Amino acid sequence: MADIAKVAVIGAGVMGAGIAAHVANAGVPVLLLDIVPPGATDRNAIAAGAIDKMLKVEPAPFMSKTAARLITPGNTEDDLEKLAECDWIIEAVVERLDIKQALYRRIQAARKPSSVVSSNTSTIPLAALVEGMGDGFARDFCITHFFNPPRYMRLLEVVAGPQTRPEAIAAVSRFADFSLGKSVITCKDRPGFIANRLGVYWLQVAVVEAIDAGLAVEEADAILGKPIGVPKTGVFGLLDLVGLDLMPHINASMSQALPSEDPFHAANRELPLIAQMIEQGYTGRKGKGGFYRLNRDGGGKVKEAISLTTGEYRPERKAELELPKKFKDLLSSDSKAGRYAWRVMARTLSYAAMLVPEVVDDIASVDEAMRLGYAWKFGPFELIDQLGAEWFTARLEQDGLPVPELLRVAHGQSFYRVQDGCRQMLGPDGNYRDVVRPEGVLWLEDIKRTRASLLKNGSAALWDIGDGVACFEFTSKLNTIDQDIMTLLGKALKLVEREYKALVIYNEGTNFSAGANLGLALFALNIAAWPILEQTVAGGQVTYKAVKYAPFPVVGAPSGMALGGGCEILLHCAAVQAHAESYIGLVECGVGLVPAWGGCKEMLQRWKTLGRLPNGPMPAVVKVFETISTATVAKSAAEAKELLFLRPSDGITMNRYRLLADAKARALELARDYAPPQEGEWILPGEGAAIGMRMAAESFHRRGLATPHDLVVSTALAEVLAGGDADVTRPLREDDVLELERSRFMALLHSPDTVARIEHVLETGKPLRN
Amino acid sequence: MATYKAPLRDMRFVLYELHNGAALAQLPGLEDMTPELIDPVIEEAAKVCEEVLLPLNRSGDEEGCRLENGVVRTPKGFIEAYRLFREGGWTGIACDPAFGGQGVSHSANALVEEMICSSNLSFGLYPGLTHGAYKALYTHGSAALKERYLPKLVDGIWSGTMCLTEPQCGTDLGLSRTKAVPQDDGSYRLTGTKIFISAGEHDLTENIIHLVLARLPDAPKGIKGISLFLVPKFLVNEDGSIGARNGVSCGAIEHKMGIKASATCVINFDDATGWLVGEPHKGMRAMFTMMNEERLAVGLQGLGLAEASYQGAVAYARERLQGRSLSGTKYPEKSADPIIVHPDIRRMLLTMRSTAEGCRALGGWVAQAVDVQNHTSDPKAKRDAEDFIALMTPIVKALFTDLGFEATNLGIQVMGGHGYIREHGMEQYIRDARIAQIYEGTNGIQALDLVGRKLGAHMGRYLRQFFHPVAAFITTHADDKALERYVDPLTKAFVRLQQATGQLARVGLSRPEEAGAAASEYLRLFGLVALAYQWARMAEVSLTKLEEKTGEDDFYRAKLSTASYFMDKVLPQTGSLFASIMAGGATLTEFPEAAF
Repeated sequence: MADIAKVAVIGAGVMGAGIAAHVANAGVPVLLLDIVPPGATDRNAIAAGAIDKMLKVEPAPFMSKTAARLITPGNTEDDLEKLAECDWIIEAVVERLDIKQALYRRIQAARKPSSVVSSNTSTIPLAALVEGMGDGFARDFCITHFFNPPRYMRLLEVVAGPQTRPEAIAAVSRFADFSLGKSVITCKDRPGFIANRLGVYWLQVAVVEAIDAGLAVEEADAILGKPIGVPKTGVFGLLDLVGLDLMPHINASMSQALPSEDPFHAANRELPLIAQMIEQGYTGRKGKGGFYRLNRDGGGKVKEAISLTTGEYRPERKAELELPKKFKDLLSSDSKAGRYAWRVMARTLSYAAMLVPEVVDDIASVDEAMRLGYAWKFGPFELIDQLGAEWFTARLEQDGLPVPELLRVAHGQSFYRVQDGCRQMLGPDGNYRDVVRPEGVLWLEDIKRTRASLLKNGSAALWDIGDGVACFEFTSKLNTIDQDIMTLLGKALKLVEREYKALVIYNEGTNFSAGANLGLALFALNIAAWPILEQTVAGGQVTYKAVKYAPFPVVGAPSGMALGGGCEILLHCAAVQAHAESYIGLVECGVGLVPAWGGCKEMLQRWKTLGRLPNGPMPAVVKVFETISTATVAKSAAEAKELLFLRPSDGITMNRYRLLADAKARALELARDYAPPQEGEWILPGEGAAIGMRMAAESFHRRGLATPHDLVVSTALAEVLAGGDADVTRPLREDDVLELERSRFMALLHSPDTVARIEHVLETGKPLRN
Repeated sequence: MATYKAPLRDMRFVLYELHNGAALAQLPGLEDMTPELIDPVIEEAAKVCEEVLLPLNRSGDEEGCRLENGVVRTPKGFIEAYRLFREGGWTGIACDPAFGGQGVSHSANALVEEMICSSNLSFGLYPGLTHGAYKALYTHGSAALKERYLPKLVDGIWSGTMCLTEPQCGTDLGLSRTKAVPQDDGSYRLTGTKIFISAGEHDLTENIIHLVLARLPDAPKGIKGISLFLVPKFLVNEDGSIGARNGVSCGAIEHKMGIKASATCVINFDDATGWLVGEPHKGMRAMFTMMNEERLAVGLQGLGLAEASYQGAVAYARERLQGRSLSGTKYPEKSADPIIVHPDIRRMLLTMRSTAEGCRALGGWVAQAVDVQNHTSDPKAKRDAEDFIALMTPIVKALFTDLGFEATNLGIQVMGGHGYIREHGMEQYIRDARIAQIYEGTNGIQALDLVGRKLGAHMGRYLRQFFHPVAAFITTHADDKALERYVDPLTKAFVRLQQATGQLARVGLSRPEEAGAAASEYLRLFGLVALAYQWARMAEVSLTKLEEKTGEDDFYRAKLSTASYFMDKVLPQTGSLFASIMAGGATLTEFPEAAF
């Protein structure tokens, strides 16, 4: 089976264009076709326009602007023969069977025999799509259901028909997994597949029950948010995001497709309020607002929410509810919140239990679909386990609600269990079987179940991940870096040197690391513990330097944010294998500080040696000054390479699940004949350059682009980057640059304006522009 | 022998020389608070305290209060003394001139309060409670309520109380049961029983204005369902004159260890008419305005009694002839040397003296912050002052009252059997001092407030107002040979405090019980370091004054000697406190309950 080397996407709407962009993110050329608009001079205007638009929107569909060049825009009249070059053709046109089938006939005529065709439909059954299309088409056809936005949503539901070639599914799945980074869930040809089938039901029940209970939308969103592990948008916030106008369409198609005994019909009630909102243009964030809106009447900005009882907008108010932290406590609570949560979640979880084996054969797929498709922290079966299947079943019976077959099969046993270090799930036959990861996936959580840590303290742990490689994991809150991490990292380096070949720095948090623990720093600052603070900085410099010069390779493997001190540790690694969705940057200036764990030092050296800049010491210094003084964060691993937070030789892994395996492979490869780097020297331009950069900052200040304290911080940064009182004839040693970082950092810590910035960001989560 | 002269010289030292109190006159609203105005005020206060209040202290203690047919009689002489006190304008000296007060700075008023506590604590509670009620009403009451009640409270013709405690709830006010039912005319009807109400009923004023915590019918459970009400003993007519008796009565008065001349009452509310102060269910906030100020005031009670006991003990130790000095006879002409020659007597006297002067200095620092908080127009300075007061309030309350109690105990010891018998009045001080460790939040609660609420708030932001000035002082004087004797021990103790603070912040976050176990010791450690800082600063000022040759060398030399004593003999306690804190709380928490 040939790899997928070229892709076509037909339909340049939001989904089609987004899918094309993401294929380009994978480095694969892609053809994006749409119809020729009537009377157009540019016959490719729709596709070309979609690409242009995608270069401007946030969150960015492209990981790097250069990826856009991999998309070739075209139209379905002139360019169909180009489909012959494509290995995978994705149809993402309007949800009308006649239009899709007409297109398929033309595709079938143009494509090469070995190619795969898939539809991104979310409502039309596969059986209907292939009906009458002939066996040759049906064998190569499947449904690939992406979620919006395609770059960021990691779920891909794949539906194979009875005739679909297994190799076609394998090829698409493999590409989606490795190149697009998707978690592929194979499901049956049922309406809404898994995530939307359950998600739409959940939303509908939640809306209906909230209206019946007379709840405020803020209350409903607070109840069906944090305590359940659902994003804080809850239900109404999510509908605003998705678009209210979609609701009637989706509900109608579900209602039409689902059998009459399906519980969906009972929940699918006409809601006059929503009809009225849609009619008035309150379709959500894309319209005039939705359940929440920003009222700009009278020049102000007032956050408002709609009353579900009167349909009138009123100022938004925080829900005043006493919400138990645990899911079970919430559902057991005899309170307004508890009753609502029970009424919604009892039905939702029962519905989920009905989907196995109707839509998919295993519960893990349902959980994964809800985690990735709806960003639930826990899947429905994990939630049932939190309640206890026995408790849940008894409560359903007590309330006279139907108990789904799967719960009867479970008979009070948990849906998941750990047996001999292996996670197992309950099957529809009542037997447990192992939860199997896709081939080649290495997941630290799995490894941790099978062995004890090599080292551990309150903020970090060291694990043996096999083949002579150890993994250093941050476990602190938000993976912030504190003294405990530094201490354990120091110990880990010694242990790995004695007993292992290589070290990987990796964790499975949402973010690799949010940087140094500012809260602890602020507390130390408040009690005037200056020597302790200075020791923390100096100790971190020593530890990070030890990472750099370790006699074995250290490979950093970030995913999500790697900021400040989290970025600096990566800068000291022999190599980095980054998840494509890594957001790396030195953001210290934002809180009124300068990078002082070697961040300035390493960035100077990188731009000097890898930067492809004009000769002389100045260009690298200026480049680093621009990057750090503006607290620039790369919005992808690809962008991090452009900013040299990653080296050109560093690897990028598209699939989050494959990051550790890739990093480990990289570490072993390097370990074969590893020699640590030689200590270099820093030729820096000295005071004159610092004055130059200060003047640049001053001009920004005069133009209102930099605040007074920005100027102070920029000046300190400029002094570090220019090498203090160095000059080009007197190269600095590594420790000299570290000393400069440390002294300017400590001086800034004494500034009340820096303290105000730190305090503000900790209290509000937002930067202070003072 | 109870004797008392207001320590005016030391008070001026604290106010003007140590804390530069003259600068307060630069704050808006305090323009008149120059030494020319303040000095006569404190001199006059000293006279009233020494001549009117002090003579009634022991007789009041002997006689106590009596409840007769629902009427509380204060001891003989109290009515006349109160009249003089009121006519002298002392009830309203710290109140807003807009309501008839004299607007004296908090810093100066704190000195007056200390004198009152030294001379007659029981008496002082009556106007003291009135001031608390004034403050709560002034800050949270509606314009109409303020208009009607504040002038009379300021004048002192009416008095006030704070009604919090109920039989089933003391520290945990969330358990309050007193109900308030709204009426059509906007008033409320209150029903319930309050206990331990100081000045709840008495014969000094024509009306008593109770500020009462109660629950509205729709109130949420617990502390978030408490509202504050104003309930007068007599209803007030439209023209401000006294009207019908309200449903408020005194059911009993307590028989107590000390402060016997202060009436501690059970107050019954039977459908009593009241008015809401502040917002519904926000009573705790209003009450805490009053409470925080009261806590600082209670701290001054410990200080005042330490000073009074010290003066009595010194007088006795000079006169009492027993034995001879260990280094040879000092007074051959006398039958024996006075006991003041003995090191152990000196140990006790200097401990008392360093307590009184140290607390006065520390209290002065906090009082100055109260003035800044109340008057500054700079929001940054205001927040800094608020942070500092929030941090120091539990320390002032608990440290001053604990040390005050210890000092009054030493006062008895110095006098031996003559301290123990009632005749000399020394044992009254210890009995009077004892309550200050309990009311307005026990000292254990103060310690929990410090470690639980104040330490971690805003990532330790409150701490900055104390730690930064101390750290800066240490840095500034690091090479100052003359001050080394004071700065070195301060530095050592300060580092211990920093380490203990860091430790508590670390373990307290994950294991609150650890913080609870260390709380009282931590508060004492913090308090001793705060006193050490004040002593080092007093030494700094005294050395400068000696160089300036002001002609008061004896005063400043005694300061330096007391500072040295504190550094050598008191501050080392921080070492054992530190060791105990760092040992953790497992021995407390793990001891089996059944084994007690």
